[in-house]
Amino acid sequence: MPAPIYLDHAATTPVRAEVLDAMLPFFGPRFGNPSSVHRWGREARAALDEARERVARCLGASADEICFTSGGTEGDNLAVLGSWRAVRDARNVVVTTPIEHKAVLAAVHQAAKEGAVERLVNVDAHGRVVPEHYDATVSDQVACVSVMWINNEVGVMQDVPALAELAKSRGALFHTDAVQAFGKVHIDLKSLPVDYLTISGHKIGAPKGIGAMFIRRGTPLEPLMHGGSQDRGRRPGTENVAMTVGFARAAELCLAEHATECARLSAMRDTLETALLERIPDAVVHARGVPRAPHIVNISVPGTDSESMLMALDLQGVACSAGSACQSGSITPSHVLVAMGVRPDIATSAIRMSLGSLNTEDDVRRVSELFPALIAKARRLSGAM
Amino acid sequence: MRERVLVAMSGGVDSSVAAALLVQQGYDVVGATMKLFCYGDEVPDKPCCSLDSINDARRVCEGLGVPHYVLNLETRFGEDVVDNFVNEYAAGRTPIPCVRCNTFTKFRDLLRKADAIDAQYIATGHYARMVDGSLHRGLDPNKDQTYFLWGIDRAVLSRMILPVGSSTKAETREIARSLGLQVVADKVESQDICFVPDGDHTKIIRQRLGADTPALARGPILLADGSVVGEHEGYARYTIGQRRGLPGGFRDPMYVVAIQPETRAVVIGPREALLGSGVIVQEVNWLSEPLTVGARVSVRVRHRSPLAAAEVVRCGDGEVEFALDEPVAAITPGQSLVMYDGEKVLGGGFIARAAGVRSGLPVLAA
Repeated sequence: MPAPIYLDHAATTPVRAEVLDAMLPFFGPRFGNPSSVHRWGREARAALDEARERVARCLGASADEICFTSGGTEGDNLAVLGSWRAVRDARNVVVTTPIEHKAVLAAVHQAAKEGAVERLVNVDAHGRVVPEHYDATVSDQVACVSVMWINNEVGVMQDVPALAELAKSRGALFHTDAVQAFGKVHIDLKSLPVDYLTISGHKIGAPKGIGAMFIRRGTPLEPLMHGGSQDRGRRPGTENVAMTVGFARAAELCLAEHATECARLSAMRDTLETALLERIPDAVVHARGVPRAPHIVNISVPGTDSESMLMALDLQGVACSAGSACQSGSITPSHVLVAMGVRPDIATSAIRMSLGSLNTEDDVRRVSELFPALIAKARRLSGAM
Repeated sequence: MRERVLVAMSGGVDSSVAAALLVQQGYDVVGATMKLFCYGDEVPDKPCCSLDSINDARRVCEGLGVPHYVLNLETRFGEDVVDNFVNEYAAGRTPIPCVRCNTFTKFRDLLRKADAIDAQYIATGHYARMVDGSLHRGLDPNKDQTYFLWGIDRAVLSRMILPVGSSTKAETREIARSLGLQVVADKVESQDICFVPDGDHTKIIRQRLGADTPALARGPILLADGSVVGEHEGYARYTIGQRRGLPGGFRDPMYVVAIQPETRAVVIGPREALLGSGVIVQEVNWLSEPLTVGARVSVRVRHRSPLAAAEVVRCGDGEVEFALDEPVAAITPGQSLVMYDGEKVLGGGFIARAAGVRSGLPVLAA
């Protein structure tokens, strides 16, 4: 079999060699606890502080505004629950969209269980927040608003600066899940009026289990965990120094390559999309024609099903994904596509291909051949039944 | 090029050994675990979506170096198997969901997944054998599962591989150990219906039909002559031949002999009243050439019950009527009747009712 093709960078990415190198000393001689007073501790503390500064610089933030987390899910939970719990006595409504990552949606549901009023803002057929509905929903009773910058399934991009602006004008706190957006859009928190922003390491070449959250200076936040005074008490527990160092390195590399990599990815994405639509004229590419991420192609072909296609692709060495996998690994129709009002037969045939560092133009060429061939076969079978 | 086979893996020892044997035999094995239902939050000890079983199957496949997938067949399974299960109870019958799961879920829906990945064959861990293209009983008489396999589309037989059908359960466990499948070798066998994890089928009936369903409402317990001798808390709690939950104080042990959903009555009688000398089956499926009137066969009317000699006395309208050489006890509507010629399975059907009940027994006008 020819070399396998990894088209699932939105799920996770390999740890970059530079990142691994940067981390290694902290698994070895520089093992100290950053809270210790001795030289080992000081050494670790210096590395941690430096990592925090470097991540802050990548975002246009100050070091004290960066809180290291275990990743996107923790950041999303901390932002939603932490902000609502901090201001709930004055404002009790939590606003989000139905196409958020489950980490945000489940955190909002949890807030609702604890007494919050949950409001979902409608999205259109492309997954874009409907401005009028957003305007009507974000009242002066809203505690916090959480809107993801780039959707992980279909790649649609929201106008986060404008959405944040409006939320601020109504006195609401604003969080954006920027897990897919980091490295794909320009982020400068000096001018962007968000209060919280969540990013994750393993989507950008750092290991799983590390992420960061931006918390604007002076913004209230109730911590999720209680313990020591690490990270100003916002996130107690001995810091994972090695991973923060790796994360900082990955973030810097990602930003340094931002322009060239985005251009490369969107060129490959366009080639792939054009080829697939040419060969499968009735295929539907979701969120096409609206601002979107350069690396995600979410395509549905009527008369096929995601589950069978994913198996067939995997057995040919092509790794894609569909919808959101539940804990068992089985596939259920994507809540994102359902919220976009996509027809059920289109939703259940969706395949997400997400490009990234591992991909070359040759991969795109091969997938442009293979995917339509597998689709044709699947349709022959479904037609025969 | 090696032939591809999709192995339905439950995470148990039988299907794990089936997969391992096929790998040894040189097949291009692809493992699949079907996600068929979700317990939800109701059964705290069982994680959602049979997660442990799925994880076990995945680990076995990793060990064998073959791919493994989880296939979501929940919607179809709910319609074909679970809905039918509760409707059968509501109709006063005793359903046998494993038959419909094999017929519709494993050997129809899963087969379509096999088509999608160019797998010529589909394999399971059933104790049954394919011999010259025909379905035969498993060699271990205690484990034979052909009672649940009669409903498969005959055309599918040529695509089935049943690798453990020639082993005893003990041998299968031995093979599992020798192949290093420690994860599953000593797993306790589940006797429950998979979507009724705690053995209480009334829960799912209540869930699907509502708490006020007549099937779970109080009703009379009657004798054959119509006299009321007690009350029950729902006829769906009873099956033909059952003794548990009946009033005492009779000279002879009493059994459920009929369930009448129209009046919610459970009719009881002595052992003789359970005997039937004939049986009518419907939804008949043939796995060999259809029999005609006068044909002699052995039949089984309940899992693990002994074989009974019978003759076909009527065929038509999707029904077949058998006359039994010797009367058989507890012929139960909703259960299966499977026909055999020696070891070979000829076909089967769902029992509509006992027929030609001997005189003196309660032929009840409902």
